[in-house]
Amino acid sequence: MLYRLRHLTAYAYRNPVGFARCALRLAPAAGEGQVPLSHEVVVEPAPRTATERGDFFGNRTVSLTVETPHRDFRIDARSRVRVERPPLPDPETGLAWEEVRARVLGGTGLGPAAPLHFCAPSRRVPLLPEVTDYARASFPAGGGAVAGAFDLMHRIRADFTFDSEATEVGTPLAQAFAGRRGVCQDFSHIMIAALRGLGLPAAYVSGYLRTLPPPGQPRLEGADASHAWVAFWCGEEWVGLDPTNDIGVQDDHIVVARGRDYADVAPVAGIIAGSGAQSLSVAVDVVPEEEDA
Amino acid sequence: MSEAPAEVKVAAPAPHDRPRPDAPAERLARWTAGYAPLPGLPDELVADDGTLRPAWDRFLRCLAGLPDCEIAARLAAAGRHIHDTGIAYRAYGETTERDWPIGALPLLIEGAEWQGIAAGVAQRAELLEAVLTDLYGDGALARAGLLPAAAAAGDPEFLRPLVGVAPPGGRHLHFYAADLARGPDGAWRVLSDRTQAPSGAGHALENRLVMARALPEVYGALEVERVAAFFQAFRDGLAATATREDPRIGLMTSGPYSDTYVEQAVLARYLGFALVEGDDLLVRDGMVSIRTVAGLKRVDVLWRRIDGDFVDPLELNPASRLGAPGLVEALRAGAVAMGNMPGTGLVESAWLAASLPALCERLLGEPLRLPGLPTWWCGDPAQREAVMARFDALAFRPAAAPAQGAFTSRAFGEGRDAAETERLRAVLRDRPGDLVAHEPVRLSTAPVWDGTRLVPRPFVLRVFAAATPEGWRVMPGGFCRISETPDVRPVAMGVGVRAADVWVLSSGPTAAQATLLPASDRVAVRRVPGLLPSRAADNLFWLGRHLERAEAVIRLTACLLDGAGAVSTAEEDRATSARIRSLLHAWGAVPSVEGAAAELAQHALSDGGQWGSGLSHALSARRNAASLRERLSGETWRALSALHAALEAPADGTDSEAALLDRAERALSLTAALAGLAQENMNRAGGFAFVDMGRRVERAVNACRFALDFGGAGASTDDLGVLLELVDSRISYGARYILGVALAPVRDMVLLDPYNPRSVAFQVERLAERLAGLPSLRQDGVAEAPARLVAGLMGEIAGAEAATLPLETVAAWERRLWAIAEAIGARYFPGGSDAARPETLVTLA
Repeated sequence: MLYRLRHLTAYAYRNPVGFARCALRLAPAAGEGQVPLSHEVVVEPAPRTATERGDFFGNRTVSLTVETPHRDFRIDARSRVRVERPPLPDPETGLAWEEVRARVLGGTGLGPAAPLHFCAPSRRVPLLPEVTDYARASFPAGGGAVAGAFDLMHRIRADFTFDSEATEVGTPLAQAFAGRRGVCQDFSHIMIAALRGLGLPAAYVSGYLRTLPPPGQPRLEGADASHAWVAFWCGEEWVGLDPTNDIGVQDDHIVVARGRDYADVAPVAGIIAGSGAQSLSVAVDVVPEEEDA
Repeated sequence: MSEAPAEVKVAAPAPHDRPRPDAPAERLARWTAGYAPLPGLPDELVADDGTLRPAWDRFLRCLAGLPDCEIAARLAAAGRHIHDTGIAYRAYGETTERDWPIGALPLLIEGAEWQGIAAGVAQRAELLEAVLTDLYGDGALARAGLLPAAAAAGDPEFLRPLVGVAPPGGRHLHFYAADLARGPDGAWRVLSDRTQAPSGAGHALENRLVMARALPEVYGALEVERVAAFFQAFRDGLAATATREDPRIGLMTSGPYSDTYVEQAVLARYLGFALVEGDDLLVRDGMVSIRTVAGLKRVDVLWRRIDGDFVDPLELNPASRLGAPGLVEALRAGAVAMGNMPGTGLVESAWLAASLPALCERLLGEPLRLPGLPTWWCGDPAQREAVMARFDALAFRPAAAPAQGAFTSRAFGEGRDAAETERLRAVLRDRPGDLVAHEPVRLSTAPVWDGTRLVPRPFVLRVFAAATPEGWRVMPGGFCRISETPDVRPVAMGVGVRAADVWVLSSGPTAAQATLLPASDRVAVRRVPGLLPSRAADNLFWLGRHLERAEAVIRLTACLLDGAGAVSTAEEDRATSARIRSLLHAWGAVPSVEGAAAELAQHALSDGGQWGSGLSHALSARRNAASLRERLSGETWRALSALHAALEAPADGTDSEAALLDRAERALSLTAALAGLAQENMNRAGGFAFVDMGRRVERAVNACRFALDFGGAGASTDDLGVLLELVDSRISYGARYILGVALAPVRDMVLLDPYNPRSVAFQVERLAERLAGLPSLRQDGVAEAPARLVAGLMGEIAGAEAATLPLETVAAWERRLWAIAEAIGARYFPGGSDAARPETLVTLA
């Protein structure tokens, strides 16, 4: 599938801002069934400095500083990307979950792709006994790792309510878990905490969903904004699982960045010199293109 | 184990001890009689065979030359010095400082034994540097299975943005500390490594100054190794990491609310580093600068005393308010060197301990000289099996630094209850890699003088090492914490722990070497450079203002009490008193204008609940001073403490008018002393101008207010008398005018007389002088806003005439003085309108 993406982020500040330092993670990732074809970001006001590098996990990161005093700050990212993922693994095959845990504990690589980076608590994903206990039902002794992860995803979707009013970007995991509601970020953090509580590796993925579903299918949650889901390491490969929509990640999802949690992959992070209120608006378009014949 | 305590044998006094052969020997025998080391644990004072160890024998014989009461008095004086100079610390979560408890005898270590410790500490520092280089480099040690990769990757101190960053200056670790105790076999071993931002070196320094002063004859007789050269070497080592000649070094502090702030201030002052908070720093154009009153000044090296994760809210912990955004980028670009690099806390973690012996063999090709506790990482199946076999005998702790984890930071020690055991087993089942097990710790003991004799108490010794171009250098001394109870489980900093100096005794060849070192530890390494961060200037300015306002409130209160004492009940009197009351009320010093004079005075002086009381202003002044510790002398700090104490209500809550007046007068003499100290003792480059400007602005504003309230057209004799009293000018007035008070001469004296150090005119002239002495940010030679405003006001005052001066003009002057204070703030302080000011940090969603 070939997609045309546009991600527009606009901040409006009450008081003028004289200085901003930002990190942008907006470029579609390469690999695991994705081929980025083009990527362009326009920032207004024009940055004074801008450098691009890969972060620890290999996510493309643009660091920039803006020194022109401004009240409006716009980041307009446009990309084209081809997505053709291999089929999802069969939940009935693969390693037992205890074996996956043992393999990760005995791992020796510290490289960015190593699953052992995704087992420990992280800034936004504390490990809580109640969340770990929630996970246990999906992982009976000797059960398959992939089957357990799919089961956990089904249960989260069944037990939790999508509610964009219930949480904000900074809502702690414990609160979203206790209230059994939230958005894609909360669903993903909760599923990650549940898996890690049992010593299983799980990553947070930020990206997009196609805006309009294929004909005859329902529109998915999170299609009009940036989306987030979970990547689970099943002992052999990463498996994308979207607990917000209870589906395995296939060609409707476009991966931008992978990290331990939201804090590692926030599309726009930054610090401004200024005071007073700010408002934010985000618009995302994900449109399939006709493949050239 | 219940061995009988070893009996201490003391050699009989030599027959030629004169003139009083028995007194010292008798004392020595009495001090050590009944000294009973704890069974099965080594002790510093007595050897296994029950004899005094030679160093202690020498030390105690010297000490025995002093009578008990003298020793008690000397140690008490040492404790008082610590109290008075405010060398204090905070336990985590406390907002008020506690005195650093000292008063213990020094810990003595023979030169020969010390060399073993020093070599072991230096080796560990080198080893940990090599491990950090690998973990933040290509990870070969993990690939080779020499350390557990999963534990490293799960450690919150593994700061991924630093992976692949070559540390500017070539190394991660610049300052290292190890906590040591003796094992049951008497050999030293390491309880923990401190690689994050080791604290305690400043306390070691202060303890040394205090103990050398308390026991000079003993200190001199024992040939104790000096520590000053170590600090010099540390400074040189940091300076050597910079790319510029004569680099500027900042101490990046965790701020006045952290438990080690005072220690940081002591070190900044001693080493000549600029004490900077994150808000003082600005990263721009590939350069790290300090915001100062003279604009941005490049800083070359930062000695980090905040946790690595807090260094940069953009790339590291977004919740940090201590760091500066962009610092990691600056490190990546080599624009600044940092000691220690962010991320060095990683090798403090317990999971590494089990791997260190093998790592030492592999990386350094030699055995580990100073071993740690026997430790097992539970993430490894074989080690876990060994642990489970001895589950009940072992202690457990979190494998990673305890800031985050599956459980609380407390070590699961001995005596765990059923619930704790259950929790432990759950973690071992679900996430065994989160735990290490280790042999329980039993601390060895050192003698503590309890006032009449010596008793054994458990202790921990912290030893410091600094990286220098010539290799690791270990401070010959250290920081010793001694428990006040005989409980031999590891001591924590907090209640019931006292600090002791550590004396390393020169022996043989090192004695000659020691004489090459500076003769005294009092030698200051550098003076504080003439660099004044905007934030410090802000605090200095407010220190001056609060002190001046406190003084004004106290004077006003004294006038109230004075008037109340008079028998007269004349209408005039009451009117004057009402004016005083309403001004005290307007200033927030009293809750109401009604009430007995003594009651109001009590509020105005001592009511902390009144924001404008003398006590409240004294407290605010102390708060400002607390952020300026490296810039204020010990005398200043003592005077501030005394002012605070003088203004506090007596414990029984009763205060007669006479007693109140007495307290007010005492407080006034202390504000005068503080003004004198600032005038005489403050380095003119170090911020005197800002304290003085704060004082001058406030005094001028107050003088205007007094003139408006008490010097109106219908002012009575009483009013004018109070006015003279308030501006402390009754005596000069009396000397100048024989005929008694009259409106125009009084006004002239209060407002216009440039020779009266209390007049508005005098304050404004001083403001002009101070501003002229400050650096300008303008290239065009045009005066900056504060100086322009002051010049305008000064001209107008010079042209005014007391007899015809309308009160509206005085009121306008008061407003213009406020505007001057604002302009000073906008130009020089953080939060001002200048473009180079720090900002409120707002994180983008």
